[in-house]
Amino acid sequence: MRHWYASEASSQSSAEKIWRANWILILVLATLAAIGTMTLYSVSEGSFYPWAERHGLRFVIAIGMVLAMVLIPIRLSLKAANPIYFVALALVALVPFAGVEALGARRWLSIAGLQFQPTELMKLGLLLALARYYTWLPSEKVSQPLWVAVPLAMIAVPVLFTLRQPDLGSAVLFGVVGLALMFLAGVSYLYFAGAVALGGIAAPLVWTSLHDYQRRRVEVFLNPESDPLGAGYHITQSKIALGSGGFTGKGFMQGTQSQLDFLPEKHTDFIFTMFSEEWGFVGAMALLALYIVLLATLGSMALRCRNIFGRLLIAGTAVTIFVYVVINVAMVTGLVPVVGVPLPFVSYGGTSMMTLMAAIGLALSANAHGRERIDAQELRVFF
Amino acid sequence: MSGNPEDDDGQSRIFNRRALLLGGGQLAAFSVLGGRLYQLQVMQGSRYAPLADDNRISVRGLAPRRGRIFDRTGLVIADNRESFRVSVLPASPAELRRILDIINRIAPLSSDDIERVLAKAKTSSRSRPVIVAKDLTFDQVAAINLLIPKLPGVETDISHVRVYGYGQTIGHVAGYVGSVDRPALDDDPFLKLPGVQIGKAGVELGMDADLRGKGGTRRFEVDARGRIVRSLDEVEPSPGGDIATTIDIKLQAKVLDRMRSEPRAAVVVIDVATGEVVVLASVPTFDPNELVTKVTEESWKKLQTAEHNPLLNRAIGGLYPPGSTFKMVTALAALEAGAVTLDERISCRGSYEYADTTYRCWKRGGHGRSDFSRALRESCDVYFYELAQRIGIDRIASMARRLGLGQTYASGIGLQKQGIIPDTNWKRVTYGQGWFRGETILAGIGQGYVLTTPLQLAVMTARLATGRAVVPTLVRRATDGQPENPLFPALDIKAEWMDAVRRAMVGVVNEVGGTGGNASLEGSNAVIIAGKTGTSQVRSSAAIDGDSEVAWEHRDHALFVSYFPASSPRYAVAAVVEHGGGGGSAAAPLVRDVISMLLEDDPIARSASAQEALRSPPADFVRRER
Repeated sequence: MRHWYASEASSQSSAEKIWRANWILILVLATLAAIGTMTLYSVSEGSFYPWAERHGLRFVIAIGMVLAMVLIPIRLSLKAANPIYFVALALVALVPFAGVEALGARRWLSIAGLQFQPTELMKLGLLLALARYYTWLPSEKVSQPLWVAVPLAMIAVPVLFTLRQPDLGSAVLFGVVGLALMFLAGVSYLYFAGAVALGGIAAPLVWTSLHDYQRRRVEVFLNPESDPLGAGYHITQSKIALGSGGFTGKGFMQGTQSQLDFLPEKHTDFIFTMFSEEWGFVGAMALLALYIVLLATLGSMALRCRNIFGRLLIAGTAVTIFVYVVINVAMVTGLVPVVGVPLPFVSYGGTSMMTLMAAIGLALSANAHGRERIDAQELRVFF
Repeated sequence: MSGNPEDDDGQSRIFNRRALLLGGGQLAAFSVLGGRLYQLQVMQGSRYAPLADDNRISVRGLAPRRGRIFDRTGLVIADNRESFRVSVLPASPAELRRILDIINRIAPLSSDDIERVLAKAKTSSRSRPVIVAKDLTFDQVAAINLLIPKLPGVETDISHVRVYGYGQTIGHVAGYVGSVDRPALDDDPFLKLPGVQIGKAGVELGMDADLRGKGGTRRFEVDARGRIVRSLDEVEPSPGGDIATTIDIKLQAKVLDRMRSEPRAAVVVIDVATGEVVVLASVPTFDPNELVTKVTEESWKKLQTAEHNPLLNRAIGGLYPPGSTFKMVTALAALEAGAVTLDERISCRGSYEYADTTYRCWKRGGHGRSDFSRALRESCDVYFYELAQRIGIDRIASMARRLGLGQTYASGIGLQKQGIIPDTNWKRVTYGQGWFRGETILAGIGQGYVLTTPLQLAVMTARLATGRAVVPTLVRRATDGQPENPLFPALDIKAEWMDAVRRAMVGVVNEVGGTGGNASLEGSNAVIIAGKTGTSQVRSSAAIDGDSEVAWEHRDHALFVSYFPASSPRYAVAAVVEHGGGGGSAAAPLVRDVISMLLEDDPIARSASAQEALRSPPADFVRRER
């Protein structure tokens, strides 16, 4: 049986592998990127310059990269997992010292004239490392305290570094994706229940130990509308834009809130608001439905995958996209504080596009090699 | 051992179960987002739509053109001139400084101007432009308009600036306009119009409601920085109504010229038939033009603290004890109360004793025994002390009010003072104590608490002359050339007593011993004038008859009230010369000269429409024409 799988996988040609890539998924991605391009065209008052054109071009390049990544042998990903994680960790640790400061936060590293965010690499690194960890870990040990502590540490270290930058959005993403992978890998429900209970007890204790000014800061963070000219301005204008869009929207290029500049960051973090002002509730629902289709496609890919590594990789990619979408939409609708997370494939920005497309590439590669069996014995050393 | 198929199947079962759980959780999260969007976009959409419009649409008020003010002959007292303005929407101080710097290169701004704009921008709302500079030249405006794409929030427009053609002559009558004070801001949207000016004094204040007009609006679509994207629609402002005053500007100028020799004085001339105020003069004067264009803090302070307070219109806002001009009030009150007859003689030995206090008569030796007519003609204080004592303060106060004292009039001029006509009730309310009878004695000769304005004294005189409740006005009652002839209601004072008072007032000017001889006109066929002198004490210790040795500010105020022609009264004149000494010596000659001017160039006769207001033929007017 095992041999049959292996031989079938190895007998696949490159063309076949690409052909076996999930074209529904790619179609959904292309639709999202097209919506992004269209909205960016509207943002710049009916011009492909400066954003729409580059957004579309980036997506085309990224799709090329994704199709190329399908060919990556699954064992190569497995081998590269831990090195990528540790390189990313080292770079993330370096950011507070060598990072470039922009807008009050240090997130960028400049290497040989190229600027990039190590946290983006960490998003892939953490995904790969955790998937590898559970591939290596015998299933009966999954819920043993020591073997729960190890992945918790793998998650906690980058979370702490990222919080220091500060980059709350990425920190939340590491936490949620990491815990979701532990959950999917089969860590006992008791740990999760215990964590929830502990949080419930600890929160009031922490709250009472805070100074008044610290509490006030937390309050403003949780309820920005108490500061309507400062942090609350963005969210108030965003809600006005969404609400005035109504059921059917104001029409393409007709969103007054966005066109007249009341809405901030409308080409990046608030692009969902921009789109929903012009296309209304109907448009917003259609956009969310596209994401649901995307997540469902990834989900079914994960369920069909025969190896733990691939399953966790695909599921982790889905959870990453999910976290991005939920935080972004919840943020622009005023459900959660503004943390600065883009809307996947729609928001303008090369960094998040590349990271997410790379994750998609890994997921498609895992899918293409889904029938390969990976023996835990292959991975003799953890480090 | 891991790696065997069963084990893997177990793990994959766990994965499948948990993946479905997680998927369910994700679906739940999406449902929450969908619900939130439904709430915002569908349920509350109608609430947010107007908010988006509030953001997008900026409504600017347009100030109307203020109504003009004319004198009785149709000469323009207050007019408007167009002025190019540049204004800017509030922005960050750094941005504003950049903008102001560019404007400064075209239209030089002082550092005061810049500070003012920065300060005002800090406090006003984001959509309300702050005026940067006024009175720009056409070239300057054109240059700024060219740069407007580089100057976010900058706008240019045309405003109206008030011009007072007769300057000093009309300052007190016209008053002036100014911008709305912050504390005065109420809910009236008119006051929120950009750059709107409201009346602060004079007719500008008294007739403000008529002069204002109605503001218009212009709606713009603006972007988040307040920059105008396009104009949506406009409601034109409707200009304020023009006002024709009763003042004769030429006569006013002549009267003021005559008054310049006095540091502080006031003259009021009223048409007794209509109550129209023909002259309302007060010295020193001020030029209202100085107050409406580029008033600096400094020049405003200078005017406010200037010697003799030129901003005070003494004719309506100066408060003076009426002195002996008040004796007609006491006389009529006593006659009406039956406390004295015209024939009763009261003895004056130069002083009057009451409750261990001595009240002096102005004439040291006393007047001897005087009847009503002589007592008024020679202004015997003791006679009126006695009358006052007989009838009490409340009867005096009541008569004073019937004759027009102690009140302001809806005559179209702002900042009138009410003065004081004391009575027992007033004393209780003001001082919390009862009235002393000794106080009645001083009140009887217009001293003590009694305070009046020259306008009130002119009204009193007009009422004495006509027997009717004349009400003064500075605004012509009819605008279409046909002034209605307001027959004021009768005062309901017995004609016999009114005649006795009038005869005595003729005696004041025309008979031997009368205190107002200086007011009589030369010539055998001259108009007969009736009048009454008043000399009101400024300090109780000062000599009653104006002693030239006394320092100016301690000298008595000189008053004279008059009406003429005595037989068929046309005009009432009241004059106060502050610290002028005696009414007979300082005020009476001033009134005589004013009357000469009126006779030389009769304003009523001059304004054609007023002919009908004349109830007696012109032949009666001047005796020499007979």
